[in-house]
Amino acid sequence: MLQPLTVVLLVSSGVLGLLAAHHLVRGRLVDDPLIIVGAAIELALLVQLVVGLTKASAIGDGAERATFIAYLFTVLLVIPATIVIAVKEKTQWAMAVVLGGALVVAILVARLQQVWSLNV
Amino acid sequence: MSEPTPTSAETTGNPAVERPHTGHGFGRVLVAVYGLLALAATGRSILQITEYFDRAPVPFLLSAVAALIYLVATIGLARGDRASVRLATIALTVELVGVLAVGTWSILRPEAFPEKTVWSHFGAGYGYVPLVLPLVGLWWIRRTARASAASDAEVARSAD
Repeated sequence: MLQPLTVVLLVSSGVLGLLAAHHLVRGRLVDDPLIIVGAAIELALLVQLVVGLTKASAIGDGAERATFIAYLFTVLLVIPATIVIAVKEKTQWAMAVVLGGALVVAILVARLQQVWSLNV
Repeated sequence: MSEPTPTSAETTGNPAVERPHTGHGFGRVLVAVYGLLALAATGRSILQITEYFDRAPVPFLLSAVAALIYLVATIGLARGDRASVRLATIALTVELVGVLAVGTWSILRPEAFPEKTVWSHFGAGYGYVPLVLPLVGLWWIRRTARASAASDAEVARSAD
């Protein structure tokens, strides 16, 4: 859809995943760097939402377009939900949740790209 | 799951905090995964029902039922009180029976499932997560129940 943005999103979710893995091993909990990376991803996802919505009409098939738009919105929920759960948990499981969240964002971004490239 | 060192040390003096809860520790991961599945299944079923319901009504209705069950399981595990856990146990059992029945059905009669659902082919489209998750969830509920029974016994003993 917008390749540089997709690359940025995949790389930044990779960074979040690595940071969470690092914290998991070191026994650390949610801290500022983690929140900052999460916020950066969320910002990029919002840009993706705007870009995606303006370009969505390029997808001819109505159902596929609906899927695309649904993914654009759904992916926004993952990071905030992940951080809320992780902040409440005071054991290493918090970082397991963040790691999973980063993975889910990457998968959803890849799926968005897939829906886009198959239908335009 | 091994007890993480920092918290177990700091909570030993307080049995109220220590009491096992289905939504704490490893339970957070379960709640997160169930929440995600609830979201995915709800989204998919809304889309299927509004955009092309006539194409395959049965699988689409099953998606909606699955979405509801995931929602109940998520809330039940996250709340963690006695009634919620009982509700979650029922939801997880129905989920397990559902994924096994629909999985078998979709393999025996593939023509009944022209469209994918969360449960067809034992959840292969979702990396078999729908098959494994209820087993893990039921194990976790059982483990938590036993651990809390043990901690209650401990509290009762120390009160004597």
